[in-house]
Amino acid sequence: MSALDRSAQPASGTLRDFSFPVVDRQALANGLDLRLARMNRLPVVNVSLFMRASEGALGHDRAGLAVLTSDALEGGTRKRSGSELAESLERIGARLSASAGWEGSTVGMSCLADRLPEAFAIMAEAVREPAFPEDEVRRALDQQLATIRQRQMDPGALATDAARAAYFAADVPYARAVDGTVASIESMSRETLSGYVEANYRPEGGGLVVVGDVELDEVADMASAHFGEWTGTPAHVADFDVRPAHVQRRVILVHRPGAVQSEVRIGHVGASRSIPDYYALSIANMVLGGMFTSRLNLNLREEHGFTYGVRSRFTFRSHPGPFQISTAVGNDVAAAAVREAMSELTLMAEQGPTEEEVSAARDYAAGVFGLQLETSGQIATRVNQLLIYGLADDHYDRYRDDVRAVTADAAAAAAGRYMRPSEAQIVVVGDADAVLQPLEELGLAPVQVVGAD
Amino acid sequence: MTLLSIDFERHRLDNGLKVVLAPDPTVPVVATNLWYGVGSRNEPAGKTGFAHLFEHMMFQGSAHVPKNRHFELIERVGGTLNATTWFDRTNYFETVPSHELDLCLWLESDRMGWMLPAMDQEKLDNQRDVVMNEKLQRYDNQPYGDWSERLQHLLYPADHPYHHTVIGSMEDIEAATLDDVASFFETFYVPNNAVLTIAGDIDPTEALDAIERYFGDISAGADVPPLPGRTELDPVIGETVRDTVVSDVPLPRVIMGFRIPPYSSEAFASAEVARALLGMGRASRFYRHLVREQQIAKSVMTYAYPLMTGASMLLVWGTGFPGSDPAELEQAMTRELEGLIDARQDEIDRAISLTETDLVRALERVAERADLLSMFDLYFDDPGRLNRELDRLRSVTLDDVRRFVEQQLGTNNRAILTYVPENGR
Repeated sequence: MSALDRSAQPASGTLRDFSFPVVDRQALANGLDLRLARMNRLPVVNVSLFMRASEGALGHDRAGLAVLTSDALEGGTRKRSGSELAESLERIGARLSASAGWEGSTVGMSCLADRLPEAFAIMAEAVREPAFPEDEVRRALDQQLATIRQRQMDPGALATDAARAAYFAADVPYARAVDGTVASIESMSRETLSGYVEANYRPEGGGLVVVGDVELDEVADMASAHFGEWTGTPAHVADFDVRPAHVQRRVILVHRPGAVQSEVRIGHVGASRSIPDYYALSIANMVLGGMFTSRLNLNLREEHGFTYGVRSRFTFRSHPGPFQISTAVGNDVAAAAVREAMSELTLMAEQGPTEEEVSAARDYAAGVFGLQLETSGQIATRVNQLLIYGLADDHYDRYRDDVRAVTADAAAAAAGRYMRPSEAQIVVVGDADAVLQPLEELGLAPVQVVGAD
Repeated sequence: MTLLSIDFERHRLDNGLKVVLAPDPTVPVVATNLWYGVGSRNEPAGKTGFAHLFEHMMFQGSAHVPKNRHFELIERVGGTLNATTWFDRTNYFETVPSHELDLCLWLESDRMGWMLPAMDQEKLDNQRDVVMNEKLQRYDNQPYGDWSERLQHLLYPADHPYHHTVIGSMEDIEAATLDDVASFFETFYVPNNAVLTIAGDIDPTEALDAIERYFGDISAGADVPPLPGRTELDPVIGETVRDTVVSDVPLPRVIMGFRIPPYSSEAFASAEVARALLGMGRASRFYRHLVREQQIAKSVMTYAYPLMTGASMLLVWGTGFPGSDPAELEQAMTRELEGLIDARQDEIDRAISLTETDLVRALERVAERADLLSMFDLYFDDPGRLNRELDRLRSVTLDDVRRFVEQQLGTNNRAILTYVPENGR
């Protein structure tokens, strides 16, 4: 064997192209948008039913109702108790899940392909005929209240909650946690949940996404049999404008006596999923804090050793979600970490990324997309995005080309437009005795100290 | 019923490196996965946390790869990568488009063979800071963050390798030197102490050639030294041991631990099945009785750790509600553990059905296949065990479960860690 030249990076082999699976669509008579991607690598099937029953459509007094309803859905149907429902699914190796968020509610199910007809029928029963027995509702309610309480004592969650409230005006739904408040949850009962389902678990605007080892005809038949009679439009519609709480830079220190570390969030109102420069902004953010080799991580972690990790992210929703840098750092370096993060943010907003950085981020984004087409769950998640955000059918066929078309100028322009260091809300959760004075000395803005409870 | 039939072949290089190749051309993705037979169990007193710190150092460059280049190159091709350290092993993995396999082989072989020339004090100081921040973030600044340390102290005597945690102590991490890095590398990061698995879109012949090319000229090392401390221990603790912590936690929590037969033993399957009946899925006993019916627990969790040395551990967690009494929660959990004596076959069938779906879904990812094949090869010298996992569980009988409950879940084998919110909250 001849000696290998280790100093040279190996040449790439020949790229094998790989396309996003074909997604067949069929509109059922009741308005339900059925989408199927066939994958037969392994005999599994992923089903998810999306309904536009969203937290974004709920006022503050009903905050958390969509989440609570989805949690209580496993409490049983008119035909089966909660335990019987679980038993009938798990006996055939099926897993059912339900969740809700700002865009809507999703009921998901996965099983082996030969169990699909049976599992699909039970899933449909859970959605169409939930019974919400009193004790199951009480349980879901107590669990959600306890979760809210847990979050108030978890430094990371506390920081995220405080930051959200600092970014969005108080009447914007995004200012609150998605699972509601103690007051809103305590006001709910089984009647509230049944009423919510009756009014909002409706097919219009939603869709049924099926991915796996199954034929379109079969799925269409199942969907017609179990969801054919189901009609209507969700009663509550997300109708709000996003406004920031503040446009002056602020520093807020949430005092947590004795904390051995400081949680840091820096951000402001970001952008919606529908902005024309979505790809350019995504690339700019990857360079700032969206990859391991991002500027923030190389600075705060690999150069200074301030943190185990740091990232920045735009949460793209139907309405503009938050833009946020997040990290956890030692108390002694908390102010220095804020200084470095602000300086990276300012540099990115003012000058944008370099050609070389944009090129690396484009390659990463285009490449990692191709790697995430392996499982039925990954495909289902992406098809659901099409549905939720109303993206074009050929969105994923064009994805890699669209990412590769981002220029350094476009990324710089997007960074300048959507990253606004002068409006940054800087939230630190830590021990004021250790971090207050150094934060004040940074001179970014007066430091407001608030209690943790 | 044999859904599981992952094709693979095995090889061994002259330097002792074990190789598993699992071709699957359906998606143009390849996973590289390297398990080294070293973990926190290999750390002597005074060096706790070192295996994990060393894992961080493995990303600081090697003779032909400057610092940060490893991440840059993998991210540039759209790949993902990481590494984890656990009690018995450390694993390193990359997933990349299949035409970039050589890049992974080059990076992994360079740090297996030529890591030390790139080490310096500045990198060590930097990663020591990163690891100390990791400990602060994931353990010290978290409610319940010290649970694993407390529970391991209850379950294992001070001279057993599982007495200390993987993250280790701050003092030991602080004391680590470049000499420690060098001797750890020379002792454990040798090809004869590793398994390399490549799964995905490969031609096995070409892949093996490439592996020979990149790894073939790394010299074999000496055999790995015996584990420090005393690895043999009684199959049970001998009594009920307790640790009650009053601290700044939001909700009461009871964590019960039990010594169980090691993963290396056949009897471990009984523990896995028992744990599944207790806590797998929402028809499981803990969920059904404690969460749904009695509403005494907000949430429950159960684990059977697959540990190889002396005895492994079964863990059951219950988290209560604000103001609830952890003693009542513990009694309720104990009733379920003892009640498992009358387990039914339909419960076992349910658990196996769920396991089957979960396993097939996991195997959709070539990275997961590679990781499991590496594990079975390193631990059992038998990657084919992956395809027999369900049979292994199906062979567990109701008598086995009963025997397990009697022998391992009794009052002579309980470690009970209780968190009580301070200020009676």
